[in-house]
Amino acid sequence: MEKQPYNLIFAGVGGQGNVIASKLTALAAVDAGLKVTVGETFGASQRGGTVMSHVRVFQGDKLVGPLIPRGRAHLIIGFEPLDTLRILLAYGSRHTKVIVNDRPVYPLNVLAGDAEYPDVDKMISTMSEMVEDLKVVKATDLAFQAGSALATNIVMVGALAGLNCLAIPTGKFEAVIANFFKPQFKDMNIRAFKLGMKAVRE
Amino acid sequence: MKELLSGNAAIARGAYEFGVTLAAGYPGTPSTEILENLARYEEVYCEWAPNEKVALEVGIGAAMAGARALVTMKHVGVNVAADPLFTAAYTGVNGGLVLVSADDPGMHSSQNEQDNRYYARFAKVAMLEPSDSQEAKDMVGLGLEISERFDIPVMLRITTRVAHSQSMVELGEPGPREIKPYTKDVKKNLMVPAFGRLRRVSLAERMARLAEYSETTPVNFIVRGDDNVGVITSGISYQFVREVLPGASVLKLGMTNPLPLQLIKQFASRVKSLYVVEELEPYLEEQIRMLGIKVTGKELFPVTGEFSQGLVRRKFVEAGVLPAPPQAQDNTAGLPQAPPRPPVLCPGCPHRGVFYTLRNLKLTVTGDIGCYTLGGLPPLEGIDSCVCMGASIGMAHGIDKAVPGLKGRTVAVIGDSTFLHSGITGLLNAVYNGSDTTVIILDNRTTAMTGHQDHPGTGRTLKGAGAPEVDLTMLCKALGVQRVEVVDPLDLARLKEVIKAETAAPGPSVIIARRPCALLKREPKPAVTVDREKCKGCKMCLKLSCPAISVTDNKSSVDANLCVGCNLCVQVCKTGAMKGGSADA
Repeated sequence: MEKQPYNLIFAGVGGQGNVIASKLTALAAVDAGLKVTVGETFGASQRGGTVMSHVRVFQGDKLVGPLIPRGRAHLIIGFEPLDTLRILLAYGSRHTKVIVNDRPVYPLNVLAGDAEYPDVDKMISTMSEMVEDLKVVKATDLAFQAGSALATNIVMVGALAGLNCLAIPTGKFEAVIANFFKPQFKDMNIRAFKLGMKAVRE
Repeated sequence: MKELLSGNAAIARGAYEFGVTLAAGYPGTPSTEILENLARYEEVYCEWAPNEKVALEVGIGAAMAGARALVTMKHVGVNVAADPLFTAAYTGVNGGLVLVSADDPGMHSSQNEQDNRYYARFAKVAMLEPSDSQEAKDMVGLGLEISERFDIPVMLRITTRVAHSQSMVELGEPGPREIKPYTKDVKKNLMVPAFGRLRRVSLAERMARLAEYSETTPVNFIVRGDDNVGVITSGISYQFVREVLPGASVLKLGMTNPLPLQLIKQFASRVKSLYVVEELEPYLEEQIRMLGIKVTGKELFPVTGEFSQGLVRRKFVEAGVLPAPPQAQDNTAGLPQAPPRPPVLCPGCPHRGVFYTLRNLKLTVTGDIGCYTLGGLPPLEGIDSCVCMGASIGMAHGIDKAVPGLKGRTVAVIGDSTFLHSGITGLLNAVYNGSDTTVIILDNRTTAMTGHQDHPGTGRTLKGAGAPEVDLTMLCKALGVQRVEVVDPLDLARLKEVIKAETAAPGPSVIIARRPCALLKREPKPAVTVDREKCKGCKMCLKLSCPAISVTDNKSSVDANLCVGCNLCVQVCKTGAMKGGSADA
């Protein structure tokens, strides 16, 4: 691990599976002998609002709270470009790394034509100028390829594992994923994980 | 062995380890997952009660008879349960009784952010406040011990950040689940005035002994550091303070009623400047000031919203305790304005058609607590008000009686779980007092907002057993409602016809709009498609506020990945451009 606590934020839209992604990452870290705290958004935002999960990974007996202070995220895993930007502005710094899924989820007023969704390429190029490293992952497409758009979150977990910021062996992630899902969804999610990992390593 | 647990899962684990025999509650964010986790332990009996008052009464009964009991609810649930709570302080317990109050500073998922620490002081019961999952688990055990030793109910107050944050917890072996002998004792348990007076005196004595205990309990402790700055804090704020001021002296209060006044005095006398860091009301601060101690609290820290490390740091910079950080460079120039992303009703939500219709009919609609408050936001705008669980019916009746111009134009909308929670008495009142109001029960067969919990209408219990399914039609008729109609909310034409007829009809009416939650019964039908030739860009479909529908270049389109084929937009479309989907069950 490069820094301690290593601060990860999973950012997205309610329903995209960020709670499960943060849970699987935390479980893999625990299996690898690391300490973890997780802070979540639950409740009303789960119905299509902006959501984020904070995961802080560390070693030893530190007192680490569940929330990441503003400007202190080391890695932002963004499930959706606009909300990645939103979270990056609040929690990122020029030392932050970003993994972002390039598939937008449009807010209601954008769907209605009352507001404009910012240009995705422009957002991504702006973000990549702001931070240390930015990787675009076509997570929704890769999830389709793995078997279902519902596995987008697992593609993103794969991408996070692929970056190896936490120095957790990928086998730990795979074991946690295999154990978490019902047998009929296991293979698809492992495929999604591997596609995500491959995407950041290419 | 250590495991990563949320505060709520840790409380459930604590109930399992520390001999709880019975647990009861009503779902409410951020408390819901406590009973959901606890129900997985075969050894502990758990149930969803129809409301928090009943849940606490179930717990009081179990504790009186000698079992250890846990009762869970969100902060506003304690308002509902306040009646039994205040007198349970008089009777005391036999087996330990812990009431979890899950407060929601910042109103992530609540209608207010009341500070339930005042309940402990008001009702005269003990209160414990954990700061992380390990403490949450441990304090269930400590709470049960205190409850039995001091013959008093104990409130375990958590907040959203403690409930929903996960941290490492040392697991222990479950202890025995003992039932203490029960003996009839009317002077203790039969609260008529003569005995109540005796127990009132006893309560004062018990609180005095608790105050002594609070001075020495291990959950009130001092972290000795630099004595220039001393901080008194509790709950999640303790974590923020330790991260922001790692060198400061801190008095951490795990027991916040009664407070350890001597310990506070002793701590205050040793530090040069004293701060209180607490979310919401100046609960600690007021009591510290009453000791004549000079302290900085709410003149620096806000009384509203949730705290964070960032806020605590900023405030200590403002107070001159921390040096100002270097000015961060603003790299946001030239960035496009990010449109906000408010939550919306899900694609295929059976409530959508009801709100669409109510708005079109320009009725005065009192709302209630649940997902369907989202039906009040633009563009649906199908609800005028929302106050608390069950309020819709009483409010609609009040309007109907008081304002002649709105007579016969009031509608109350209430979910099935909310109706069973506290709508029944409101409806009984509407019948008894001759209301002309119409009640629409949005029967989606579950408690949806909190994540699909069962209730007396679903035919299943928290433990997964079958249960009698309350018949809402018969129930309303038994209350004296003559006109009860059941409609499918995805059949817009009939829905509109029934709402028009029932609001026009004299006397109270009930319309049961029945269709399972779209997330509960995922059987998507073919997605709707749009014939771009026929679409005239009238945007009628947008009035449904469906996240699957969008308009580009003045033509509607439907996202096939989101659409579940509920068919509402097809019914709304005036040009026949939308095709597909199915309103069939």
